[in-house]
Amino acid sequence: MDVEQASDANLVVAVGRWYEPALAEVYRRHGGAVHALALRILRSDPPAEEVTQEVFLDLWRHPEKFDAQRGTLRSFLLARTHGKSVDVVRSEESRRRREERTTRETATAAYDIDREVWDMAVAEQVKDALGALPDELRQPIELAYFGGRTYQEVAVLLDEPEGTVKSRIRSGLGRLRIHLIERGVEPAGAGL
Amino acid sequence: MSTSPTLLSHAEIEEQLGAYALDAVDPETAAVIEAHLDECVRCAAEVSQHHEVAGLLANSGGVPPADLWDGIARRLGGTSDESWDRLAARLDVPTDRESASAAPDGVSSDGRVPQPGSPTAPAADVVPIGAARRRPRLVAAGAGLVAAAAAVIALVLGLQVHHLDGQVNAMQATQNLSTAERAAIAAPGTTRVPLSVPGAHGQGSTPATIVLNSAGTGFVINDADDGLARLPADRTYQLWGVVGSKVISLGLLGSRPGIVPFSVAGSHGVSAFAITDEVAGGVVTSSNQPVAEGKVQV
Repeated sequence: MDVEQASDANLVVAVGRWYEPALAEVYRRHGGAVHALALRILRSDPPAEEVTQEVFLDLWRHPEKFDAQRGTLRSFLLARTHGKSVDVVRSEESRRRREERTTRETATAAYDIDREVWDMAVAEQVKDALGALPDELRQPIELAYFGGRTYQEVAVLLDEPEGTVKSRIRSGLGRLRIHLIERGVEPAGAGL
Repeated sequence: MSTSPTLLSHAEIEEQLGAYALDAVDPETAAVIEAHLDECVRCAAEVSQHHEVAGLLANSGGVPPADLWDGIARRLGGTSDESWDRLAARLDVPTDRESASAAPDGVSSDGRVPQPGSPTAPAADVVPIGAARRRPRLVAAGAGLVAAAAAVIALVLGLQVHHLDGQVNAMQATQNLSTAERAAIAAPGTTRVPLSVPGAHGQGSTPATIVLNSAGTGFVINDADDGLARLPADRTYQLWGVVGSKVISLGLLGSRPGIVPFSVAGSHGVSAFAITDEVAGGVVTSSNQPVAEGKVQV
């Protein structure tokens, strides 16, 4: 098998046959994105590296969890990365988070850190699409995704009702998808 | 939120899909949503879309740290015992710590077969694979089957991915499955028992297949395309074996079985297998008609 020529889906099949070079190729293709996301959320490297290792070991042990019908391998790996990173954040920083929730000022400062982190980022079109969202839709997504916060925490930070935040995250992601498509970035994923 | 997550309506779940996709709901709510996604194609598709968009937000790419791969690679290897554990881990195998209390006749309350020596373990015939897989003798005896089963799994996985990609036509898929089945049959002492739908009058539908080796280790393989349909979360498929004049439970297969291991020990041969649709948790004796059954050809 020529792993460099194989599709992501076929690499996962090969991982299912315990073919280590296939996992190495998956790592070569997506390890950078996985590590970068973990690092962005965790902000320090030993934990980000540990999360990265776990994500690829999980794929090795449970390749069947990847369902090609539900999206790309990269988004699958990044979703697992996000979940694991958020678990670490919430376990280590729960006390700090509770303190943050009590003061609006602290919250604002934390949000600025997220902005800085985001400013370091990614493809212009994605940034542009996100920037095209109204603040009230963009902020909850950024706080939840990059800040690793629950929607209840976001609601406190933004001083909005929880139900409003929930629906804004959902509609914000939907709008973002449309903006991305308009900019020629076609997110994969099952059609409705 | 005063609403208990377990009581969420479809509309309430739908409203949280965005937050769920960003891991921004509490674990209890996430578990409820995950259960819902197993049954609701529409919501599952929406979450997939959210994940794709979120993936683009994170998509800074870059070169992965090279030394990190070394750390991963070091953790991949293993002895044959570990290989078996890894295989078993991919299947639906109970862990050591799972409780074996409650339901009798080889079925624990959590839907798994019990551990050895537990009060509810049946007197004979049925041995939980969770214990059996740690016996070196069985590992050795089952090595052929393990290899065959691994081939089946790999091909089933391959079938799934190819099927979903729409890249492989049905003819190729059939050939792949035949190859897998041949590999399973080729393992020394392995028996293959196709389970058909009762009353199908020779329509040739075999939703599931039993692969069983001479050591009594077997797998139920649910066909990826025409297999047993997914059940609601409060139902489960249950596997039965006819041993002499008795019908014994061989374990629960879950509501959406793929490949599920089981074990039949002892000298009593199983003359037939059947699968029924039962309430989650299983039953001691079934009053339902089998959804699939097959006789062991001697």
